[in-house]
Amino acid sequence: MRRLSLGNRLALLFAACTAVVSLLAGVLFSRASESHFIELDQQLLSGRLSLMRQLLEGVHDRTSLNTRLPALQAELSHQADLAVRIRGNDGRLWFDSQPGLPDSPMTPGLNTLTSDGADYRSLSEALGGEGTPNLTLFLDITHHQHFLQRMQRLIWLTVGLSALATALLGAWAARSGLRPLRQMGEVAAGVSARSLTTRLPVAQMPVELADLANTVNAMLERLDDAFQRLSAFSSDIAHELRTPLSNLLTHTQVTLTRPRSLEEYREALHGNLEELQWMAQLVNDMLYLAKADNGLLMPSRQPLALEDEVGALLEYYAPLAEDAQVRLSHAGQAQLEGDRHMLRRALSNLLDNALRFTPAGGEIRLKIERQDSGVRLEVANSGEPIDPALIPRLFDRFYRADPARHEGNSEHAGLGLAITQSIIKAHGGTIHGESAQGWTRFVIELPTA
Amino acid sequence: MKLLIVEDQAKTGQYLCQGLSEAGFSAELATDGNTGQHLALTGDYALLILDVMLPGRDGWQILQAVRAAGLDTPVLFLTARDAVEDRVHGLELGADDYLVKPFAFSELLARVRTLLRRGGSPTQETLLGVADLSLDLIRRRVERAGQRIDLTAKEFSLLELLLRRQGEVLPKSLIASQVWDMNFESDTNVIEVAIRRLRLKVDDAHDNKLIHTVRGMGYVLEERTA
Repeated sequence: MRRLSLGNRLALLFAACTAVVSLLAGVLFSRASESHFIELDQQLLSGRLSLMRQLLEGVHDRTSLNTRLPALQAELSHQADLAVRIRGNDGRLWFDSQPGLPDSPMTPGLNTLTSDGADYRSLSEALGGEGTPNLTLFLDITHHQHFLQRMQRLIWLTVGLSALATALLGAWAARSGLRPLRQMGEVAAGVSARSLTTRLPVAQMPVELADLANTVNAMLERLDDAFQRLSAFSSDIAHELRTPLSNLLTHTQVTLTRPRSLEEYREALHGNLEELQWMAQLVNDMLYLAKADNGLLMPSRQPLALEDEVGALLEYYAPLAEDAQVRLSHAGQAQLEGDRHMLRRALSNLLDNALRFTPAGGEIRLKIERQDSGVRLEVANSGEPIDPALIPRLFDRFYRADPARHEGNSEHAGLGLAITQSIIKAHGGTIHGESAQGWTRFVIELPTA
Repeated sequence: MKLLIVEDQAKTGQYLCQGLSEAGFSAELATDGNTGQHLALTGDYALLILDVMLPGRDGWQILQAVRAAGLDTPVLFLTARDAVEDRVHGLELGADDYLVKPFAFSELLARVRTLLRRGGSPTQETLLGVADLSLDLIRRRVERAGQRIDLTAKEFSLLELLLRRQGEVLPKSLIASQVWDMNFESDTNVIEVAIRRLRLKVDDAHDNKLIHTVRGMGYVLEERTA
């Protein structure tokens, strides 16, 4: 089933509300007028009734009635809509002032009766006390009833028409009220990879939609950002591969231009090998990152004593650090569930990075701290502070804080910290950098649950 | 020792064949899945090197057929696909190792030797040595020309690895993985530094150098008489 549009839904709701309200008003009004009529009739009938009783005072049988009848008819002739019925105390009919009157109950009080398409209000009372003839007055109220019926028809008509009118008006109002939503839809429809810079005009949006518009804009912002990164990444890949490829091409062609000694060929092949190994490492790293981006990096969950892992890593790096005259130390301990190889790789990249930027005589400290909801791991190295604005960029792919290393150096492709970040994210953790007072710190926070 | 390579990329297959032959193996090449399976089932090979994506039938099917025939020949997979489920799938079917392209030939060679050794004698020698260098695993002593050499624990493990696999070129990644349990390709020159230090203690005082660098490939411990 196709779902009702928002506009139609609102229009129908409006119509239903109006119908209910006008119906209620109509019913109340018709009730009120009916009871007003009854009151009027009651007053009129009881006035006439007392007059008739005076006229018929002392009547106790048919003969005495007959003597009073002329006076009674004279009185009745003044009022065409009034009729009289007199019944004996035995219930037999003595007199009807006109034919076609409905049967009426003997009980005293006001009744509404119908006969031959005419409506009557009747009021009965005994002429004297108990056991005296019974007098009933009939008031023709057909015109009242007609009026009420007309009014009821009018009410139904009003209900129908007002419902229809509000439905139409409501549809129109909803349509114009929902215009910002349609605009939003149009903007969204216009968004493509080429036009991710389009934004919804929040200032022109009604308050209710401003939040939604802001959310959509934020989403576009993130998409745009991710897309920019992706395009930058692709072009970076091309650029990164271009340098070693052109080295390989040039080197191989130059080598082949004339005969050379065996040693020269060997040298050329070694040169090529270095470039190729660098490229292979780059491709493997990028595949790793691509896997992480696609959520395919699935860390195993094995219980780890973090201090042991850190200790093993420091042992691994110890010779390198000694050569660079950098002191390595670690403190603290914590248990964690995670993937040993991945976490070692992540920390290894951080240590590698720290070693690159720590001057001789400097220090690298690893600190493990247990926290309420997880583990905090800090890798701090002494050395030149990094511009705080650049710190988030350190995690960007191919970003190198040290431009001198940009080309020619076959070791470092600038993917290490990006890989570290991917691994930490795959473990549900976060990593950030900070640099102050001669120390640069990378802080990893991992959940233990 | 006879190896079978099933690889449909002509160049890759040819280079692998050449490399393994020159490393002292007798390597045969099949370029499609059906030939590969036929050879694998009839040829009595010591090791199978299978590409996953093959014309005819894929590497997994060959592996299944081999295992179904009751052969427990070690199988090493080569693949350009590196999805975790692929790896798990291959290992579940009974593959023994898995290498993702691009890989270094030295890495492949080292793994091939590891797999071939796995089937061999499990007896662990406790006394290793070459030339005038000896390593005693029980007493944790290293001597060169009768002189005791003091090594750190990791240096000892490194020398043990080199000695156990003397004559084999060990790539850096294998050394990092075996000695330090660091199972990832790393940018660093940690291994270079560690080897340099080991050399300083083992080789520097002697004319007969034992630890050699094979440029671009790795390190090898052997006695070179030249």
